[in-house]
Amino acid sequence: MPYVFIAPNMLIFLTFIIWPAIRGVYISFFDSIDGRNFDYVGTANYSSIFGDPTVASVARNTATYVVFYVIISTVLSLMFALVVNEQKFAKGFFRAILFLPVMLSPVVVGLIWNDVLDRKVGPLNALLEAAGGGSPGWMVEPKLGMIAVIFVGVWVHLGFYSIILLAGLQGIDKSLLEAAAMDGATRIQIIRLIILPLLKPTTLVIVILSTIHGFQSFDFIYTLTGGGPLGATTLIVQYIYDRAFQSPIQYGLGSAAGVILFLIIFAFTALNFLVGKKKNAL
Amino acid sequence: MNKSLRSKLAIAASLVLSVGLVATGLPSAQAASGLKPTAAQLSAWKDKEITYYFYNDSAQELETTKTQIAAFEKLTGAKVKLDVIPFTSLDTQLQARLAAGNAPDVARLNNPGFYQNDALPLETYLGKKYAAEFLKGSTLQVTHPTTKKLIGTPYDLSMNGPFINVDMFKKAGVAIPTAWNWTELVAAAKKVQAATKSEYAFAMDKSGHRMSTVFSQYGAFMVDKNKRNVLTSSKFRAEKALKLITDLYKADQAPRDLWIGTGTKYSSPTSVFLAEQTPVMFSGNWNLATFAKDAKFDFQVAPNPKELNGGGWPGGKFLMAFKASKTPDLAAYFLYFLSDADQMEQMCQNAFWIPTRNDLVAQGIKYPTRAADMAVFLKDTANTPAATYGIQSVPTLTGPIYNKLRDLMTEVMAGKITAKQAIAQQIAFIDAQLATLKK
Repeated sequence: MPYVFIAPNMLIFLTFIIWPAIRGVYISFFDSIDGRNFDYVGTANYSSIFGDPTVASVARNTATYVVFYVIISTVLSLMFALVVNEQKFAKGFFRAILFLPVMLSPVVVGLIWNDVLDRKVGPLNALLEAAGGGSPGWMVEPKLGMIAVIFVGVWVHLGFYSIILLAGLQGIDKSLLEAAAMDGATRIQIIRLIILPLLKPTTLVIVILSTIHGFQSFDFIYTLTGGGPLGATTLIVQYIYDRAFQSPIQYGLGSAAGVILFLIIFAFTALNFLVGKKKNAL
Repeated sequence: MNKSLRSKLAIAASLVLSVGLVATGLPSAQAASGLKPTAAQLSAWKDKEITYYFYNDSAQELETTKTQIAAFEKLTGAKVKLDVIPFTSLDTQLQARLAAGNAPDVARLNNPGFYQNDALPLETYLGKKYAAEFLKGSTLQVTHPTTKKLIGTPYDLSMNGPFINVDMFKKAGVAIPTAWNWTELVAAAKKVQAATKSEYAFAMDKSGHRMSTVFSQYGAFMVDKNKRNVLTSSKFRAEKALKLITDLYKADQAPRDLWIGTGTKYSSPTSVFLAEQTPVMFSGNWNLATFAKDAKFDFQVAPNPKELNGGGWPGGKFLMAFKASKTPDLAAYFLYFLSDADQMEQMCQNAFWIPTRNDLVAQGIKYPTRAADMAVFLKDTANTPAATYGIQSVPTLTGPIYNKLRDLMTEVMAGKITAKQAIAQQIAFIDAQLATLKK
């Protein structure tokens, strides 16, 4: 009987996730410029990717983005969750505000921030200029472009991660916190020695999720910077998109890059999971 | 004089004629061949639905298309489902639909070369003489490379050129140009920028196609009609042209953010021109409809700058019916209907298109508004060198070649490479692309 209940979901999962994934691996061994005619090329697509000079910069960009995105997202969402958990006044309102960016379309997010960060007419630079900070070229300078993309990425997902951590916080037995307070523990000590250790499994979920999100980031970046300036914000998913859908179209090469992305995410997720499991065992 | 060059000159001459006729305002054209559906066809088509995969550059194009679809439905009893697609995902979505077996019946395309093996051969449905209804040069991209048969119709001819903000020029006391070269254009634009304190002096669509216009004016071309890399022999001219444009961006006299800050995406400074942040915008005639509707200031089309050559750079859009259509005769007739003289004339008048039909070119289009601007575009079309059509001999490579040029320009603007290095890389890229044709 339980199999009957999960059957519809499994059918959708198999049709739209598993089958395309298998097909993607298969296509990665072919060359196709139109998605209809395929020429078998063996592992040539994989060799092309590793021989492509742009791959090194794409890998560097992706690594930079993922590392900063995961660290900043995890730390900030933890801080926000702690603050919101303590909130007494207008609790629902502040949680809604925090969650609001999650509900926006990533495409719209990219377009909004593109306007906000405009060098000459953007409101951010207007404020900075008024404060004597000049007019940084967020969309023109490669380093600033990466900073902008990390900031927007964190802004979009922060509410989602905070809500998960908030649920984790509310699952902590309050008597433990009260006992610590009665024993004279300071607020910082309670957070460091009780809350954070107890929140470790939830934090691990956030690290895994943000790692996956980091590697998969594309939509808002594409509308925000298009991978520019000078390819400084071109991450691996855009590399796949450009190979598969931008002229000259190379579906096989795009699929091969997709397979590589899958292996990277799989390796990182497994590593995170194993490290987390080992620490919990200790 | 070779045959191809003669045909280009014939086009040019007929367009010159059309300019003259625009001024005299002859009555509108009648359908050239007047192909009407038979009773049997009408009976078979009743309530059949076809899909039209469409993108538009202006609101007027969309509105006119809707009107024409209503007329088609009334004439045939068939239904047309209009799928409006953003220009930026035109090829991406169509490739996916064709691969998934969900092909539209008819599509408006920018790169017909990608779909030459999916296209319905029109001769079967519209007769052998149908191709002759269109300007010879304009059918190059919709003629199958091996069968030499027509696989689509040239739907409009486009022409690049500068738009100028007349109010800003007047305010700055700069004379409205009737003829100029690039040095004069840049000097005038900078003078207007200084006097009006506008953000920029100049703006250009982020496009290798638009840059090719400047190349042509300086006497540089990338591929000739025999599919040879000719940038090698004109590289010094190309470097000069590239430096001229990229220097404006490097100096912040053109919207650098819009070019460098948009990665591999296409971007157009239409909003910059409409916001009066630049007195000069280098784009194409398809923008005239939008500017005519939205500009809150006086503007006009200025002639293309003349260096070694005058004129602009040709482009255009195409209609194609697909083999996968369940009702290929209906799809072919819909394409025929949209491309006939009456419908094309209506579209030209409403959306400021340049016609591709011989009959319309011969008798001229009476543009109800902005006729003087269209006359400038038409005159530049006539002045466009035949060599500009050379790249159309490699329809599947035009996209990659233009995109590479665009990306190299980005690197020059950012100071990563010089104009000389960019041209050297472009030459190597064209060689590599042309080599793929020989495989």
